[in-house]
Amino acid sequence: MIEKGKISPFQMALIIYAVVVGTAILYIPFITAQHAKRDLWLSPIWAALSGFLIVFIITKLYKLYPKKTLVEYSELILGRTLGKIIGFIFLFFLLYDTAIAFREYGEFVESAFLHKTPLVVVTGGIALTCAFAVHGGIEVLGRCAIIFLPIVLVLYLIIYLFLIPDLNVKNIFPIMEYGWIPSIKGSLAPHAWLSQFSLLSFLLPFLSDETKGMKWSILSVSVSVMTMVYINLGNIFLFGGIITSTQFPVFQAARYISIGSIFEHVESIVIAVWVLGGFVQLSAFFYMLVLGTSQWLKLHSHKPIILPFGFLIILFSVWSASSFQEMIRSMGTTTPFYFITIQLLIPMLLLFVAVIREKLRKA
Amino acid sequence: MMDSSRRRKNNYISLVLLLCLIILLLAGCWDRTEVNDLAIILATGVDVSKKEAIELSVQVFIPKPAEGGQQEGVSSGTNSSQTLVRSAEGVTIADAMSRLQEKLTRRIFWGQNEVLVIGEKLAKRGIEDQIDFWMRHSEPRERADVFVSMDSAKEVLESMPELERDSAKQLRKLVDSQIGVKVTVKDLSEMLSGEAGAAVIPWVAKLSPSNLGVNKGKNIPFIQGAAVLRGDKMVGWLSDKETRGILWPRNEMKSGIITIRTNGETGYVSLNLLRSNNQLMPKIMNGKWSIRVKTDADLEVIQNTSNLSLLHSKSLKEVERKVVQEIEDREKLALSKTQEKLNADIFGFAEAFQRKYPRIWRRKSSEWKEIFPKVDITFETKVNIIRTGLENEEARKGGEEK
Repeated sequence: MIEKGKISPFQMALIIYAVVVGTAILYIPFITAQHAKRDLWLSPIWAALSGFLIVFIITKLYKLYPKKTLVEYSELILGRTLGKIIGFIFLFFLLYDTAIAFREYGEFVESAFLHKTPLVVVTGGIALTCAFAVHGGIEVLGRCAIIFLPIVLVLYLIIYLFLIPDLNVKNIFPIMEYGWIPSIKGSLAPHAWLSQFSLLSFLLPFLSDETKGMKWSILSVSVSVMTMVYINLGNIFLFGGIITSTQFPVFQAARYISIGSIFEHVESIVIAVWVLGGFVQLSAFFYMLVLGTSQWLKLHSHKPIILPFGFLIILFSVWSASSFQEMIRSMGTTTPFYFITIQLLIPMLLLFVAVIREKLRKA
Repeated sequence: MMDSSRRRKNNYISLVLLLCLIILLLAGCWDRTEVNDLAIILATGVDVSKKEAIELSVQVFIPKPAEGGQQEGVSSGTNSSQTLVRSAEGVTIADAMSRLQEKLTRRIFWGQNEVLVIGEKLAKRGIEDQIDFWMRHSEPRERADVFVSMDSAKEVLESMPELERDSAKQLRKLVDSQIGVKVTVKDLSEMLSGEAGAAVIPWVAKLSPSNLGVNKGKNIPFIQGAAVLRGDKMVGWLSDKETRGILWPRNEMKSGIITIRTNGETGYVSLNLLRSNNQLMPKIMNGKWSIRVKTDADLEVIQNTSNLSLLHSKSLKEVERKVVQEIEDREKLALSKTQEKLNADIFGFAEAFQRKYPRIWRRKSSEWKEIFPKVDITFETKVNIIRTGLENEEARKGGEEK
């Protein structure tokens, strides 16, 4: 086995939470609002379906093939050749997913602060830092999550608490003015984000207490959805009708904080703390990608391929979209289908075949 | 054994080398900007220039070292100007900004800009394009307060308040006192894109200086009423009194003093507003649109020059009745002007209808301009006088009334 470290179920829940929510809170409100308008807070609730379904599938698969990741058991389920192909498809997707996450991180830092810094410097810098964490293995990741994420979570909460004087609750009415459809259309992007819970497959084998894996995964989905609903509600209360045109509502909300004209201009703190969450998210992506690849290649250690993959991620993050607008547009249109196809359909297919095999073997 | 110790040594050396590399990063950002390279903008004025383009005026903070501390006394802040005003023309704000930059040795920095004044002429022409700059560019803040000024905005920036450091501070403090409307860039953007398509912005007029003031001959900006916008164009102006009237239905009335006279009395009773809550209750019946403005206010008596004894519930009821009438009169005054003359829905009636009747609204929203002037408005005002002050008039008047 490549990784000998262990993490607690709580650490696992935090890591996967960071993977899903880290960039989601930045981009989801804007993308969702394009369709859902003022019902954008409903969309993550629909998307929770994907989250729960995937957790169910992944834990079920894990029960059939304990101590194995998706890349490993796909070979056992589908046979060597087909399994390798599916593994490759999944890993290639994961590379793209990771690169997109790095790109999202970079684009945000660029448009909020470092307008003139080349994107590669921003993403390269964080990639290098993440590489150290990945080198340390799963335990380092788990500890980073346990140290940083509580701070990040508290931050998400207090942004809107500080804005209470400016929040207008009436903005959410009328709820579902145009029926269910807009909020369901808007849930496309949250569906894609929550489908990333399929990556749990790379974390479950390292649990110190496997019996609690399911429970904490479900909890993590719930908290992720609640965070998104909370952020979306805060944004609609604050921005009302202009929610459809505010690109980084959370950032703009942080800028809007002003208490007694002393406590204001706090967005730099918000970003600094957000970067902590971003670091955990990107490291986790990076780690899973490297781990999966070394399992696919049957390497003895994941360490030699960390730097090459870091380089590859940066390349893909540049290739993935030619501009910020293109990235945003694809996140609201094509990317979710790609995400859901790979992350929901492949595990589903695997589970289907695995269950049939199980039945045949018993019969 | 030898091998492991050598490996440890190698690790140690590489760690030290790495730390040395990190030191390089500590030198700072490559595109850092020092404070003395920035022209910190406190207030911005936008006007129409003579050539029909945009004239952008900025009030720039002049950083000065604190001089000698106590020597100059308290007045030092007011008599020496700490700001300067510069302006430039361009086809858009951003264009004017680039011209302005040519005149300033330091880089224009919007981060601290808290005030945006729009000249009357420009406001009448439309402000949407100007607001776009504020919402799109990442440096200016969405929380900046917006004003429309009588005459040019540049004059407002150049004026010298007596009590405050500069006109930016003066304007901000005035809107924060909550006696008029307060509108930030975000609020304005929300109002302009809202269903009602109307906005209201505080109106800046000039106050002639007091005789003893230090800056003789210079006018002082102050808030007098509000400008009303329909679409993104200014269509009218509300006086101070009318502005108070619109605060009630907008649920922004948070403080104020109401003075009334009851029938048959010569003196007055003044009451201080403690808190109030307003609700708009829309109703569509048989194709007739109506709105009930529901007000709930708590007040306390702060002066009583009449002969009424406020200990008696009968006279207290009479005062309450009068206060209700006064409040409704103010609301009616403001409503009749905005509804009939200006046809600008600045109360959020459109949103109220949309919330209650989303289906009907969807069909009728395009006709709102024709519907709004015909909306029937009724009032339901409830007033509680919860305290009558510290003095008991029974003692003062010796109960002579009875």
